[in-house]
Amino acid sequence: MTGLKMVAVGLTALLLQLTVFVDVRIGGVAPELLVLVAVLAGISAGSGRGSVIAFCIGLIWDLYLKTPLGLSAISFALVAYAVGSIEEGLFRDTRLQVAAIAFMATTGAVTLYALLGELVGQRGLVDGDLVPIAVIASSVNAVAAPMVIPLVRWAVGSSSKT
Amino acid sequence: MAVARRSRYRLLLLVLTALALLTLDFRNYGPLETVQSGLRDLLRPLVAVTDTVLGPLGDLWTAAWEYDDLSNENEQLRAELGRLRGESIQIEANREAYRRLLEATEIEYAGDMQRVTATVIRDLVGNFADDVVTIDKGRRHGVKAGMAVITGSGLVGRIETVDTHHSTVELISSPDFTIGVRLVDTDDVGLGHGVAGDPTAFVVDAGLHGLQTGQPGPIPAVGSAVVTAAESRYPADIPVGRVTDVSDVKGGLAQVVSVALAVDTRDLGFVTVLLVAPLGDTEPDVVSQP
Repeated sequence: MTGLKMVAVGLTALLLQLTVFVDVRIGGVAPELLVLVAVLAGISAGSGRGSVIAFCIGLIWDLYLKTPLGLSAISFALVAYAVGSIEEGLFRDTRLQVAAIAFMATTGAVTLYALLGELVGQRGLVDGDLVPIAVIASSVNAVAAPMVIPLVRWAVGSSSKT
Repeated sequence: MAVARRSRYRLLLLVLTALALLTLDFRNYGPLETVQSGLRDLLRPLVAVTDTVLGPLGDLWTAAWEYDDLSNENEQLRAELGRLRGESIQIEANREAYRRLLEATEIEYAGDMQRVTATVIRDLVGNFADDVVTIDKGRRHGVKAGMAVITGSGLVGRIETVDTHHSTVELISSPDFTIGVRLVDTDDVGLGHGVAGDPTAFVVDAGLHGLQTGQPGPIPAVGSAVVTAAESRYPADIPVGRVTDVSDVKGGLAQVVSVALAVDTRDLGFVTVLLVAPLGDTEPDVVSQP
């Protein structure tokens, strides 16, 4: 059942990213909704299960990207693992904490994706656009994270520490 | 402690899986592409329904934030329309001369090749796919990976991935899209590619005359045409753009030719896929060397 709930949340994020967020952009930058769900999975499900969920979300996103299959998956999984490890050391989550973690993790995921992409020969990922993309996408995710995290917690079957 | 160790093993397994997938993808492993295409086909109805339901939200956003731009664009288009009306008479006169020129030079831009017209249904997705669009024609319509995509202005790009009803097009502005071109003014052939961050620019920086012969090559005139080379994977003589700048490197033995693309890839509504299988299946594009 938990798996089905997570599929529903991941699929909803994918559909929004492929439809609404093709046009809805801030300063030309689309919100990185799938990164957000992957990061929140790391927070909610911990480093182990969270990284697997993030990997699957990245893999489905890779289907629609020009970059090679597995690039988003590996970036998302590494960031979710890192987030899960940090989160396990915290006593409780505040909204501010969740927003701050979402900001930093989104910056990490976007940068890691671009760097790994360049490493495997994809041109044009690390350029002057990377900083605005990372900053805007991270800011949007920081604002959205406290609102989306209850949904992800419901999907992974975890309760809040607050 | 045991949980942390299990998490690390799990992560290691995920990294290894990703590396295996990356390797298979780089090798264009057929079954993997089939699975990807199948999954996209499976999700297609869901994407279409969501787009129909939520698409107006995107339109609303665009209208709200880009009203001034759209208004300016409208003004520009009105001015352009007026200018084009004035030019239409001249074009009529030039058409006959152009036909004679094509006959004389045996240039046939896309001639009577089989083709299919497609609508661009989706621009870039995410933040790192500036040079990819999705069109509403796929395998069912005879489209195959690598086929050339054009508009009346010239080369738009090539088919990247093909699903049953949809395909993605890698645009000519992509820095990863290497193509064999001919400089019409000097009849020299070389390899060119898009420029990262500038969707209107293209640069020819490999294979030009000088490096092959050891002698400085002829310099193409600024404004002269650049077309696909006969030796390239794509049909010959499809317009690519016009030369904007030529710089010598290596003491004049090599040229770097900057080109303004003939097609504005940022504003595509309809495109045409030439249903001609590309020559060879390997990347990058190959121009025969003398």
